[in-house]
Amino acid sequence: MTVSKGKATLTDFQKTCLNIVIVIGSCLICLLLSPMRFPGIELLGVSPNWLLIWVVIWSIHYPIFDGAIAGIVLGLLQDGLTGPFPTHALSLMVVGMLTARLQRQRIIQENVVLVAFIVFGMAVVGATMMALQMSFRHILWPNSPYLNLWQIWRTHQRVALSSAILSSLWTPALYYPLHHWWKGYLKAKN
Amino acid sequence: MFALRRWWDRYATRAGIATLVIGLAWAMRQSQGAVIYEIYQVLTSPLHPGLTQAERLENAYILELQQRVIELENQNQGLRENINYADSQGKVTIAAVIGRSADNWWQQITVNKGSSDGVTEGDMATGPGGLVGRVLSVSPSTSQILLITDPTSQMGVKVSRSRALGVVRGNVDGRVVMQFFETTPDVKPGDVIVTSSYSRLFPQGVPVGRIESMDLKKSPAPEAVIQLSSPLNILEWVTIHPFEAKTDVNAPPAEIVDDKATP
Repeated sequence: MTVSKGKATLTDFQKTCLNIVIVIGSCLICLLLSPMRFPGIELLGVSPNWLLIWVVIWSIHYPIFDGAIAGIVLGLLQDGLTGPFPTHALSLMVVGMLTARLQRQRIIQENVVLVAFIVFGMAVVGATMMALQMSFRHILWPNSPYLNLWQIWRTHQRVALSSAILSSLWTPALYYPLHHWWKGYLKAKN
Repeated sequence: MFALRRWWDRYATRAGIATLVIGLAWAMRQSQGAVIYEIYQVLTSPLHPGLTQAERLENAYILELQQRVIELENQNQGLRENINYADSQGKVTIAAVIGRSADNWWQQITVNKGSSDGVTEGDMATGPGGLVGRVLSVSPSTSQILLITDPTSQMGVKVSRSRALGVVRGNVDGRVVMQFFETTPDVKPGDVIVTSSYSRLFPQGVPVGRIESMDLKKSPAPEAVIQLSSPLNILEWVTIHPFEAKTDVNAPPAEIVDDKATP
């Protein structure tokens, strides 16, 4: 691409750079939103899972391998913000792979409602992965910090449902800008 | 060999980038997200309680004069109490709560004072009413406090009236449960719970809460639900007390004997 085409078109290199900036920037925004609790964001003391929304939107646009990597990376970052166990890397990796797999079967069209449904389902999957890790730890290790399994799964119900509802409601806020950018970017690339 | 070579030619860059990105994320995790919390602190600084005080003062003279004055008087009184409290406690740090847990499984808060203000890992945090938690990790200007309602938080406590000993554990659902060491502890609802000398992560004698209800027939140990004296959901300020965790497993024997001997 040359300069004569005008300033509206960017060179491939510039586009790649811009893509990197957008990816890192949007991840950072999601990370910064995680500890925040502004009014209207909490339901039964549970807040939306911003990183999960990001991973789902990313995996819709990229293949399974990339979805898994994005899940691991963001999961590790979320671990850094909270604590090492149970790890979010595993649950977000599963979410990324499942979403990318669904997209490969062309189940998701360009429909924000469907994406919100996927986020709803994936939030439940993510919470289940966390609860499973806790349950295994409770069963397999002798001095578990959790009182009993019943308690873990009762909390799982509350967390999974509230965070699924909130996350899917907040999905459009992230989906529209990111989808708009990635659609154009990937089309130009292929 | 050839297949491997071809794989390498095709995926070398992607594999390299993936390794690099995971490595970076790992480093970030090992540093407890210090970079992210630093950015968070800078970005949310206009929202921190206390900083808008000056703006509130300006508005007070223009709008709703009386109400604002009452509000300021109350705040002033609260802060004055905090300062008096701080003076009486020796070297403590008062910090504003600027964030909550970054996911729904952990019970944490983020406060706006960090290692540059003298906060270190293992310090104890109290709020109005009693114990809040302990400092889990610090970055230069923020620190993470693990609330006592978190399941990974455990501490030795005793019933103030009868000296019955037990362990208080947080719960995944945000309640706090005390498990007694004895099978027939002398307790009744309303009894005050304080940290005991068995507690290695907290100093002894800090108020925790009151007994709300109990189940003395519970196996393997009798249990009681504790009503915390500190309102963890609406905390705005916490006081951070310097404390060195006793990493020595054999806690000072003299104090333990004292605990058991006092009826």
